[in-house]
Amino acid sequence: MQITLTVNGEQRELEVTPYTRLLDLLREDLGLTGVKEGCGKGECGACTVIMNGELTASCLVPAPQADQAEIITVEGLGTRDNLHPIQESFVEAGAVQCGYCIPGMVLAGKRLLDENPKPTEKEVRYGLSGNICRCTGYAKIIDAVMLAADKLAVEGSDSND
Amino acid sequence: MTDQSKRIKDYFCKHTTRCTIEGVKKSKRFVGHDVLKADAWDKVTGDAVYPDDISFDDMLYIKIKRAVHPHAILKDIDISRAKKVQGVVDIIVAEDIPDVRQFGLIIRDQPVLIAPGEKMRYMGDALAIVVAETKEAAKKARDLIKVKVEELEVITDPFRAMEDDAPNIHPDGNIVITHHLNRGDVDTAFKDSAIVEENRYQTQFIDQLPMQNEAGVALYDERHGVVDIWAATQWLHDTQADVAQSLRLSKDQVRIIQPTIGGAFGKKEDVSVHIHLAIAAMRTGRPVKLCFTREESMITQSKRHPITIINKTGVDRDGYLTAWETKFIGDTGAYASSGPAVVHKGMYHATGPYNCPNLRGVSHAVYTNNTYAGAMRGFGTAQGAFAYEQQMDILAHKLNMDPAEFRLKNIYKKDSITPNGQQLTHSVNAEETIKRVMELSDWKGGRK
Repeated sequence: MQITLTVNGEQRELEVTPYTRLLDLLREDLGLTGVKEGCGKGECGACTVIMNGELTASCLVPAPQADQAEIITVEGLGTRDNLHPIQESFVEAGAVQCGYCIPGMVLAGKRLLDENPKPTEKEVRYGLSGNICRCTGYAKIIDAVMLAADKLAVEGSDSND
Repeated sequence: MTDQSKRIKDYFCKHTTRCTIEGVKKSKRFVGHDVLKADAWDKVTGDAVYPDDISFDDMLYIKIKRAVHPHAILKDIDISRAKKVQGVVDIIVAEDIPDVRQFGLIIRDQPVLIAPGEKMRYMGDALAIVVAETKEAAKKARDLIKVKVEELEVITDPFRAMEDDAPNIHPDGNIVITHHLNRGDVDTAFKDSAIVEENRYQTQFIDQLPMQNEAGVALYDERHGVVDIWAATQWLHDTQADVAQSLRLSKDQVRIIQPTIGGAFGKKEDVSVHIHLAIAAMRTGRPVKLCFTREESMITQSKRHPITIINKTGVDRDGYLTAWETKFIGDTGAYASSGPAVVHKGMYHATGPYNCPNLRGVSHAVYTNNTYAGAMRGFGTAQGAFAYEQQMDILAHKLNMDPAEFRLKNIYKKDSITPNGQQLTHSVNAEETIKRVMELSDWKGGRK
């Protein structure tokens, strides 16, 4: 069957089977391999994307269900030479080790800060609670999101001036 | 953050070198400076390439048919229906690869595929390699493979495995290895001790659970006779050597290319996808991909050893350790993996960071039909720590002594000698660490 969706701002038309997962569609059909599979059961958050503004485990979404949806993956945030402030903060805070959870963490951080630009540490922990990391012990990931909040606040005040 | 928790954090940072704080002497370039990780940019943008992210045109997908019983003789394997699934390119069983040899980190006891007449020893053993044009076809064909087995007694307890009438899981018996430790006169020291405490401790299986499952891609260059394998490993050259000997290739015919690793924690020391990938690539002449699911990773690959530790510890009236006897029995599951080394190291750490003049120890790695156990962070010492610290607390309680003070009396100092005979000649700050923890936590003594 044919579906239409917007991925990272670009409209795509794709032929999918009813049992294709959104995760496979993004990774295999669109080559967006920043979306990772950790458990395949919606537990670990490695396959997180932002779908219609909500954090979504793409391994649990049948592709036909994504018809007409708007999807943001980590590739839609920033590039190596032009990082999004959240990505920049993850680099600067030393929040990245093996990196496998990081695309999901970055998106969870972005979703949180979109809604709540000045979160408390507790709110950051809650905002990242759907994403598992096995390397870092989370401390520096939380630092990174707090740092990103500061950066975005400064950027925001600049643009207001 | 309260003042106290800030002080603890700073102290922790200083002593674990996990982060830098002010006042530490800095080197010119790296030590004492924040250094940004070179690969962080690739990892925050999604550009980093992990094994499952590698694809080739005309690539085939592999699924592995695994054991249907934890301890059984394979009587028959029927792939006729599976072969008819549309998209199936090849189904490889043991009789197709008669020259392939067993593999393993320390003891080469793991078969690449179980042949009829041979035994499956745990649920992760491979029976057939299914290669197909799509993942779906490979999965469908795998599930159509019919297997007949003769079930044997399933041994899940290493103590049962060590009994005389237990069936042998491997031909040479169930005790993979035995290590001994002897120092001083333990029997006399126990006799002269004020208190002797003996307890049995049990730890459990733990999966290392790295975020990325075992996965890889392989390509066979027929002209040069070289197989390229893109798959994570923690021991690049050991994996290369083991794959090469298993396939009877020379080492320069096997190239292991390390993509970004999505965590390992010991789990990726063992061969996982590598040999099956190489065989499929060489037989089909096409690029092949094999990715474990999380379930497959948990069933098939190594765990932290569950260890039974029996500690007998003596102290004199003044609270000094006099003698320590330990039995350290590791359930290494169906295959040895790193087990012989894990139980060796664990036994040598039996007394933890405490001085004890008279020592006796024995450790075994024992085969069972559980998923095999191998390396995981700490390599046998984490299990031991649980047991020796419990011993220390129980003894302190029996001596009616502050457990911190009891530890300070016995803690390693400069020139202490560890159970394996190593003299600690510098940088022994365990005593200082205990004192600072007492100070920072406002320790009031643990006496009842």
